[in-house]
Amino acid sequence: MTNLNVSCIQRFSTGDGPGIRTTVFLKGCNLKCPWCHNPENISPAPQTLCYNTGKKITYGKMMTADEIFDDVIEDIDFYRESGGGVTFSGGEPLLQSKNLSELAKALKDKGISVLVDTAGCVPWDNFEDVICCTDIFFYDYKTADEVLCKTVINADKALILSNLKRLIKENKTVHVRIPLIPGFNESAEECEKIIKDLTESGVKYVDLLPFHRLGSSKYEAMGLEYAYKNVTPPKKEDIEKIKSIYEKYFTVSIE
Amino acid sequence: MSVLSDLKTEMKSKPTGVFCPDVYRCEGYKNTKSDDVSLIRADGIYALFTLPEPYIYKNDLIVGSMRPYFTDVDEDTAKEVSAYMAKYPERGFLKNGDHFAPDYFAAVDLGIPGLIEKIDKSIKEHKERETFLSSMKKTLEALTGKLIKYAEKARELKFNFDYDIERLEKIAQNCEILTVSAPQTFEQGLQLVWMIHSCFVSESRYAMALGRIDRYLYPLYEEDIKNGLITDDYATELLSNTFLKICERRYTGGDDVVNICIGGVDDEGKCSVNGLSYCVLHAVRDVNLPGPNLSARITSDCPDKFLDECLKVIGTGLGYPALMNDEVNMAALLRKGYDIKDVRNYCMVGCIENFITGKQPPWVDGRFDPICFLEDIILKNDAETLDGISSMDEFMKIYEAKLAAGACEYVKAVNAMSYVSDPKNRTSPFLSCFCDFCIERGLDINTGGAKYPSVHGAVLMGIGTVSDCLSAIEKVVFIDKAAKLSDIALAIKHNYEGYEELRETVKAAPKYGNNDEFADKYAVWYTKTLSDMFDEYRTNDGGAIYTAMAANISNIHAGMILQATPDGRLAGKPLSDAASPTYGCDTRGVTSTLLSVSKPDYTRCACGTVVNQKFSPSAFEDGKREKLLSLIRVYFSRGGQEIQINSTSREVLIDAMEHPEKYPSLVVRVSGFSAIYITLAREVQEDILSRTQQQAL
Repeated sequence: MTNLNVSCIQRFSTGDGPGIRTTVFLKGCNLKCPWCHNPENISPAPQTLCYNTGKKITYGKMMTADEIFDDVIEDIDFYRESGGGVTFSGGEPLLQSKNLSELAKALKDKGISVLVDTAGCVPWDNFEDVICCTDIFFYDYKTADEVLCKTVINADKALILSNLKRLIKENKTVHVRIPLIPGFNESAEECEKIIKDLTESGVKYVDLLPFHRLGSSKYEAMGLEYAYKNVTPPKKEDIEKIKSIYEKYFTVSIE
Repeated sequence: MSVLSDLKTEMKSKPTGVFCPDVYRCEGYKNTKSDDVSLIRADGIYALFTLPEPYIYKNDLIVGSMRPYFTDVDEDTAKEVSAYMAKYPERGFLKNGDHFAPDYFAAVDLGIPGLIEKIDKSIKEHKERETFLSSMKKTLEALTGKLIKYAEKARELKFNFDYDIERLEKIAQNCEILTVSAPQTFEQGLQLVWMIHSCFVSESRYAMALGRIDRYLYPLYEEDIKNGLITDDYATELLSNTFLKICERRYTGGDDVVNICIGGVDDEGKCSVNGLSYCVLHAVRDVNLPGPNLSARITSDCPDKFLDECLKVIGTGLGYPALMNDEVNMAALLRKGYDIKDVRNYCMVGCIENFITGKQPPWVDGRFDPICFLEDIILKNDAETLDGISSMDEFMKIYEAKLAAGACEYVKAVNAMSYVSDPKNRTSPFLSCFCDFCIERGLDINTGGAKYPSVHGAVLMGIGTVSDCLSAIEKVVFIDKAAKLSDIALAIKHNYEGYEELRETVKAAPKYGNNDEFADKYAVWYTKTLSDMFDEYRTNDGGAIYTAMAANISNIHAGMILQATPDGRLAGKPLSDAASPTYGCDTRGVTSTLLSVSKPDYTRCACGTVVNQKFSPSAFEDGKREKLLSLIRVYFSRGGQEIQINSTSREVLIDAMEHPEKYPSLVVRVSGFSAIYITLAREVQEDILSRTQQQAL
């Protein structure tokens, strides 16, 4: 029986793919994005967040594929009615791809749509583990700048880009998700650079995710300083402007 | 829209004097020459409808106001009025006096002259009942007289430059034609219905429903649309202009809840959503105030577009309409033996109470609190007796016996109450004109005139609290044996002070609302057992005792007087609300909540149930709403009976508690009716706040 390191399971997730979905957040990530809104999912170790309201929530427990399957299958009627399914997010879910493959297959066999939300910075083999059972990939693309990629988020751009190209070549539905981070990737030049990479890769769908600060209280509850605490979310008109740039090349939605 | 907002402004200016329609009614009593109580009452009603000077707002499209009933009342008059009202007492809610859905189908179809003709015909057939029939006729003549006075007033106001002459002429013509014929246009139909409704309000009847307005006005609407006489926009404007006046009582220190029902099925059982359904929906949205209490009967074959429009209106923050599962409600009513045609034409009165339109006496309900009987067992037995209970089955048998005895006592009490005075004295000649078969039989609505007998709703309290308590007892006492029942009894007596560890243990037991069979089975049991028990009894005239789970805010009051409970709830804290799980205890998300909540067999709850759910405003955006729609479709397909959705964010609610001045018109829904948030008591605000918010981030 394979075990997965689960941070939490969230039902009626409306921002994690089509229809009504249950999102299984897997714990552990190999990137270090300073704006991350799920900091509790970075370390693989269990963590207890202590909110100043006195509330305590512990994230991280090992669950078998069967346990997760039984949990998410409860909502099958909702998935069927809405065209939804199960989303694996994180952290980086593909760090646990070996153990994930069995669960993804079980869901696929039950006719449930599987979506994997990845940052793509893993060996191609990890994709191979789940590719046959995954209907949609959400694929983060945070910057086209190799140096920023390395220094700011600790990622290997070449690997991310080559995985993306290969995924599309395999005819998988891929939505590239770009977080719009103030001062990092929302300038017109940055956008153009990202667009160049994405068009070359054959990307069709782009989701823009404007930066928000809803994760601030999590950092506080973890006793950490949030680098983006004082950064204000982008304005609606700025988001629209960026959207119009991407729209020339892709089907764009804002999440 | 501007007419509507101008009307709102006009309505806000307070009239002088106090709201006292009975001053006029008593003029009728004073001058009566009759010696029969119904005829005397009809004289009172005649004076009530025709004496006061009509009031027409500058922005009225449809007339009928409560302003004329504001008057200066000196001490002597007040004394005289209360003496007369004691002599000819009204029924009030507890004696089947209001919460009624009149037969507006017949009223619109026949008009006042047609109804009078029907009465004349009945007089010929029932000579012996001529007196009561004459009293009914007199009240319809009073209605005619009121319409004539409004027509005259409209003509008179033409000389006042503040008024729109064309509009006044239209009003005058509409009122006049209704005195001589059935309504010929949608506008006249609406005018007739509103004038009748205003008459009920002036009679001091509360929560009189407008019912299935998209059915009984549909033929006129359809004809007018076909002939190009009205557009959907104009129909919507007429409706909003009318619905806004429901709030007139609120603006002037009173209150009313008027249920309006859209959707559902036609006489053949097919989805009956039509163009007018959308106009009604949009009119309620435009009014944007509590008072018009909109219910949507959702069938499995109703178009997604209809449900989506409902969600859009809910998403404005208004919280209306309440969504009703039509299949479950109809199955529940069919169980009670009504004719299928009448069941298909049901609507709601008050908050959510299912009602056979115009065919049964007004609604009555009361509160039945099963948790009290559980507390009785635990607190009134000694330790030895308690710990002698050897299994959960044995415990349940004891509890069921207590509940059965309680149900028996309850029905005795409510039946005694509804007949404390001579029913022959408390006749309702005007109301009886709008209930089948009062005219045909020549009988009062409450003494055999109505097609069906009166029913009573036993509002069951705290399904969540009870289920959680039983789950905790089974888990902690009988399975884990972590504590004895007498330990729990002691802890409860001390409000868990000094028993914090035990409190944590009982709190950790499975809770209703998480799709966990262990706790959910008790909710299924609760619904079936209590409905079975009440099925054993009848009202005085042979009607059914319905069950309901729709507590409004009485779960707070019920909790205030209760000690701590075995689920870990502390003394004085609210019970779970309506048919919802205990707040904060359904922690797995809305899909799990709805899977749990759709487990009980609600076809046993003929009155209706209420499940409150809150979503952040983002859930109502384009592209997201379809997920809510699917959620509701699945919930209903699994047998959920009702869902009421709020779209207010938690942050807004917290801020509004601290800065009420910033949110003068923030509306929230509290089980069945909307309320202006800042006007609620702090504990009610906190209750709303602590209901699980199903965040869709």
